[in-house]
Amino acid sequence: MSRIGVFVCHCGENISRTVDVERVAAHAATLPGVACATEYKYMCSDPGQTLLKKAISEQRLTHVVVAACSPRMHERTFRKAVEGAGLNPYLCEMANIREHCSWVHEDREEATAKACDIVGMMVERTKKNRVLPAITVPVTKRSLVIGGGIAGIQAALDIADAGHEVVLVEREPSIGGHMAQLSETFPTLDCSQCIMTPKMVDVANHPKITLYTYSEIELVEGYIGNFQVTVRKRARSVNERTCTGCGVCMTKCPQKKIPNKFDQNIGMRTAIYVPFPQAVPNTPVIDRENCTKFKTGKCGVCQKVCGPGAVDFEQQDTLIVEAVGAIVVATGFDLYSISEKPKGSPIKGYGEFGHGKIPDVIDGMTFERLASASGPTGGKIVRPSDGREPKQIVFIQCIGSRAREKGISYCSKVCCMYTAKHTMLYHHKVHDGQAYVFFMDARTPGKSYDEFWRRSIEEEEAVYIRGMVSRLYQKGDKIVVMGSDIAVGVQVEIEADMVVLATAVQPQQGADLLAQKLGISYDKYNFYSEAHAKLRPVECATAGIFLAGACQGPKDIPETVSQASAAAAKVMTLFSKDRLEREPIVARVREAGCVGCFACKKVCAYGAVEEKEIRDRQGNLLRVVASVNPGVCAGCGTCQATCPSKCVELDGYTDEQIVAMIEAL
Amino acid sequence: MNNTIDISHYAAIADSIRAEAARILEQGVVTAVVAYTTGRRAGSVQPVIITAAAEAERLTFTAASVNNLAVYLTKAKKDIPRSGRIGIVVKGCDLKALVGLMGESQLQRDQLYLIGIPCAGVLASTVRPAEALIAATLAPKCRECDAHLPEGCDYVPAVSLPSAPTLEPSYAAEIARLEALTPAERWAYWKEQFAKCIKCYACRQVCPFCFCEQCLCDRNKPQMVDTTPRPAGNTAWHIVRAMHLAGRCAGCAECERVCPMDIPLNLLNRKMAKELKELFDYEAGFAVHEKGPLNSFMEKDDQSFIK
Repeated sequence: MSRIGVFVCHCGENISRTVDVERVAAHAATLPGVACATEYKYMCSDPGQTLLKKAISEQRLTHVVVAACSPRMHERTFRKAVEGAGLNPYLCEMANIREHCSWVHEDREEATAKACDIVGMMVERTKKNRVLPAITVPVTKRSLVIGGGIAGIQAALDIADAGHEVVLVEREPSIGGHMAQLSETFPTLDCSQCIMTPKMVDVANHPKITLYTYSEIELVEGYIGNFQVTVRKRARSVNERTCTGCGVCMTKCPQKKIPNKFDQNIGMRTAIYVPFPQAVPNTPVIDRENCTKFKTGKCGVCQKVCGPGAVDFEQQDTLIVEAVGAIVVATGFDLYSISEKPKGSPIKGYGEFGHGKIPDVIDGMTFERLASASGPTGGKIVRPSDGREPKQIVFIQCIGSRAREKGISYCSKVCCMYTAKHTMLYHHKVHDGQAYVFFMDARTPGKSYDEFWRRSIEEEEAVYIRGMVSRLYQKGDKIVVMGSDIAVGVQVEIEADMVVLATAVQPQQGADLLAQKLGISYDKYNFYSEAHAKLRPVECATAGIFLAGACQGPKDIPETVSQASAAAAKVMTLFSKDRLEREPIVARVREAGCVGCFACKKVCAYGAVEEKEIRDRQGNLLRVVASVNPGVCAGCGTCQATCPSKCVELDGYTDEQIVAMIEAL
Repeated sequence: MNNTIDISHYAAIADSIRAEAARILEQGVVTAVVAYTTGRRAGSVQPVIITAAAEAERLTFTAASVNNLAVYLTKAKKDIPRSGRIGIVVKGCDLKALVGLMGESQLQRDQLYLIGIPCAGVLASTVRPAEALIAATLAPKCRECDAHLPEGCDYVPAVSLPSAPTLEPSYAAEIARLEALTPAERWAYWKEQFAKCIKCYACRQVCPFCFCEQCLCDRNKPQMVDTTPRPAGNTAWHIVRAMHLAGRCAGCAECERVCPMDIPLNLLNRKMAKELKELFDYEAGFAVHEKGPLNSFMEKDDQSFIK
């Protein structure tokens, strides 16, 4: 006979406000198998836990039911307390009378009755709980970092410096990401390349880092501590081992007019190229779509001029399987292109701004390339249309961001600061020019940030106009900007030479597809979701996967670097143990009844179900049945629901337990 | 309207089956052949399993060859020892069951030798086996048959399939009639049907897809389905069965044939099949699918039910 202890929590007033906890405890005490039932103000507090532990030893309890909040909140807390008192932790269950009851009901009578039912059900379920031994799995102390921007670089360096191997995978031909594209960085105006490129070189030279550029994640299998990741290394058409990076191929390539994505398509590159001179690795890639050799079969100049013979037109994509124990996702962001909205996107465009039609309407990243010393204009700020220096320049903020009617309601966070920076860079380079900024509010929280913004107005002569722009149109060689100044309450019209739009920060295209491969969750904008907004900001809900940088939400460089180091610290914590303890809430197959249809195997999202041969003593094959690998099973219960003969049981949630719960109602 | 159905080629088919069965047993291609033999009642036919070439002369094929022989190859019914490759006589509808069993890891194609029948139809279970085959005596499933000629068999008798009259599908008409009812009326209809059930489980025993060696309905810890023939348990049983067959049943209608209480079981299964077709563009029985529509998630699946 079980001796169950029921512990009802007030949760301050969260529960007791709507539920009569004394009555719930009194009701629980009458249930068969319940040895004691009590209530307390904060069951999770130290005195609360002590009360529970004391009851276990004094009352010789065999099972424990804590009627309190969601198991997601405190199941671990109470199981630990129960373990401390000498009981198997999985003999403790939570009855959720907060989220499932007090928070969602108003009527005290009804809520109390429902709480009694919830407790009654959990008592019946808990009675049938088994002692479950913990499952431990080995940890592969290697880490995968996806994305070679500043977030990925920082995380990779931190983990590698701690002595663990890192596999860094980057989609583009070079690491560096968006930070490598920036001219100078706020709030100190130090050159982005100057602080970025040494870190890129560190990555390339680090003995613990394996770098795959021009590569993508093909498949992710396994689980925390034991992932198998297949990386597709796209054919570079250049042998990375033999190429010396001399660059002769690029100077001889006849295709010279291909817009360079790194320069926001205002600079040109060849078909065999490195995206920028400081690229890491400094090994060119052949862009097969634009290469004459690949298009017509003739040319091959690069191959002829290559001294070491590194150019290889026959190269194929290769698939590499890497075993890792942890994954850091650092895929970063993309800027919202207001002229061409992504296919299927719920976001409405800004046709009224003529981006893509009026050549001198550009986005912030294009301005960065114009202002960059290594950019296509060598740092001269000129108009893309005619190469003249703009004397009147208008910056418009919140393009896409904070515009619910256009489909994005969040703030992109970095635009206020980078626009202030842009006005300064402009003022430094065009002394007789005038910068105007249309803005809604200036959002400048951060160390030295507000001072920076004030400086752009007070010292660098930028004119800030509070209001939005309704329309842009070309008039002669000018762009007429029609907006309103709501501070004065007048309509404003500015004839500008150039307009810079601070477009919204969005996740990378295909972020959702990668998330599906990884099995991590994402929000409606495709930003990856952290496990807890406040207390677990760098972990995913999927164990062993961590987030760094703007893939989780808009972030500036200092924040990105902090988060990357935090993710690296989490990886190191994981790697500090040789074996990892996993929750033993896993499925078991009742082999005697298994008919081997493998419906369970087909539905298992974790690849935890295997085929097991049953043989007699002579070794003759009798049957093939399903078998669950407890190290891989995540305890989701899909197999249990699918099995036609109900021969799969999930510990803690067996059919018997579920039926017992229903019958308790 | 021409009501007769031309089955003049069935005699030639029977000859071919006898010859082929003898040959494959003689040559050791198979260890057993599952086929039809003459029954005791006039004109009746019953399933038989032969293991020697000499027995092949007992085999036959007539309009009374209604049984789906696939059921004898399933684990739960274990009529045939797993001793090697097995020959089996299949009509188009029976082949669909075998295809389904292959998709569910119950059979391997290379372990089977399929003798396909160019079938013009078989008799309804409600008429005497000696009756002539006309539209009125044709089994309802044959009225809407889309697999007169089973595909991908190892051997098909060299006879040509006579052209068959086009007949109004009876299940489709009955489904349309039920769909037009109000939910309450429909529920009343099925309640009445299920109330007739005596829990003999003949439908389960004859079904090739009820291959579980331990049916969940036979378990008592916990008792999933009430075992006594009472309305609640009856309804639970038939709904469990309909759900388990959704996306798998290809309509051999054996359950309906063997039901002693004349519950229109195949009607329920056809309705489920129609839903699967509409929701997932899926039809059971034509190709070996590794995953059925209810075991897989695809981007294009209808998600409108998620609010």
